[in-house]
Amino acid sequence: MGEREEVLRQLEARLRGLCVRFWRRNPKRVYVDVPPEHSLAANCILYEEFRGRLATASGRDTRDRIEVLYHYCLDALNLVVTLRTWGDKPEPEVESVAQLFPGANFIEREIHDLLGIRFRHHPDPRRLILADDWPAGVYPLRRDYPARGGEAARARLVALLTGSPQPVAAALGTAPGAGART
Amino acid sequence: MKRTIIPVGPYHPIQEEPEFFQLVVEGERVVDMDVRLSYNHRGIEKLCQDLTYDQIPILLARICGICSASHPMAFCQALEDLCGVEVPIRARYIRSIICEMERLHSHLLWVGLAGHFIGYNTVFMWAWKYREPILDWFERAFGNRNHYENFCLGGCRRDLPEAEVEPLRRLLDDLMPKVEMLTKAVLDDPVLRVRLRGIGVLSKEDARRWCTTGPTARASGLPIDVRANEPYAAYDLVDWKVVTQEEGDVFAKAVVRLLECFESEKIIRQCLDRLEPGPIRAEVREVPAGEGIGHAEAPRGETFHYVCANGTNYPERYKVRAPTYVNLPSFKAQVIGAELADAMLIVAAMDPCYSCTERVAVIEPRRAGVRRLTQQELLQMSWAKTERIRRQG
Repeated sequence: MGEREEVLRQLEARLRGLCVRFWRRNPKRVYVDVPPEHSLAANCILYEEFRGRLATASGRDTRDRIEVLYHYCLDALNLVVTLRTWGDKPEPEVESVAQLFPGANFIEREIHDLLGIRFRHHPDPRRLILADDWPAGVYPLRRDYPARGGEAARARLVALLTGSPQPVAAALGTAPGAGART
Repeated sequence: MKRTIIPVGPYHPIQEEPEFFQLVVEGERVVDMDVRLSYNHRGIEKLCQDLTYDQIPILLARICGICSASHPMAFCQALEDLCGVEVPIRARYIRSIICEMERLHSHLLWVGLAGHFIGYNTVFMWAWKYREPILDWFERAFGNRNHYENFCLGGCRRDLPEAEVEPLRRLLDDLMPKVEMLTKAVLDDPVLRVRLRGIGVLSKEDARRWCTTGPTARASGLPIDVRANEPYAAYDLVDWKVVTQEEGDVFAKAVVRLLECFESEKIIRQCLDRLEPGPIRAEVREVPAGEGIGHAEAPRGETFHYVCANGTNYPERYKVRAPTYVNLPSFKAQVIGAELADAMLIVAAMDPCYSCTERVAVIEPRRAGVRRLTQQELLQMSWAKTERIRRQG
């Protein structure tokens, strides 16, 4: 497919100063690693100049940082470009893409709820996924969150059953060896 | 004029996808809205991290009770993208047959519900009756009416029984004239045209800004269809076309879905004709570390899956995005300026799940009272409008 090759060359040239890696995993899938300071610019280029459609974004906890992967479909070219950016723990932050178009609104709120990365300048940063009475600062998709079993889950159960005033967040966060799988 | 906030929802727990809409109205006009999701969050992405790659498609089939082939399909695409597996040709045809049968019964379900919402209850009963034989065929061929679970990494779990090929052809022979009759009834009905034209308009640019997919995007003139853009299963081996409309209103969305039924029939018939004996599953020895992306065209739009594997038998991170997740927010672009009697229809035209409309409360903030509207009363409003149009001829 010559057209795809041509667009990919243009894209690579356009993102050269912004990304640290431009990886063609296979002809249909491209991964671009963009440091957080350039993430908004790179997203803007993909959305505005290359008319990409944001399929969704995926959040991922890699122990030291929270990664956000914006998946853009360039439908006519049979191509998915994934922009990977990240925020370092303990206070991960990236610039919000929902400033550029409303289609990114929900997914960024979801990633914030589940993984605790703050999207700066998000137009509507309210809670979306978690219940209103969910304790603040507890992120269920983080690696240190005990999904099943483990000492922390037991502590939480005890706290719930005994009606102990110990806040749920503390019971979750402080127990040693929090049973998260790695 | 006085503004009134109307909360719609949030949910009835026996249904999937509960949603909570807050409509701000001035008189009969909707002037603003807000939507909230996730009242029945099941944590499926997290659950996937504790399941092996053989178990995951079984769980993913349960994400949706209607389009239960599309999520396993996207899973298979993602893993096959990661592992570089070549799927046997017979499995590709079977995959296409299942996906298109699913589209047929899902679109018929939608036609029925849409008919119900505008007060055409005969359409509702007929469409659901026509849908029934498809589900029965699924049960005979793959063991279950809805959760057929026939996809796995590298191919299909069960072969299509030879004895079910002819019955499927006969089923289509019976079904398609009825779908044609329904389609003509919708396209030629002057009342429906007046009732559905020009409401809930989603412009082409808005469809792009809100990142919509599927019939919602195609009715606004965006020719997005994963089956054509990134052909999977057998879609590049058969002859069919992407259905689009330019108007972006509720009528256009109905037309797209109805015409797609005929494309589905074309695809199924071609697949059946070309089906030849052969293996149905490629062997996959291991899933290497790395990342994979797969998407598939569900009846409601694109399902998008991302997998991050770490070389073990479990994914490190699994991300699922269902089509309603991107289509639903565009409700905001469609409903502002609409009449309250149309709001329900506009949501329905995007084909999400309707559980949210079960219970409605009207709160008038300046007075202390709260008035509750039942789903029945909301329906009555919509039916009354259809009746008004009909009388005016």
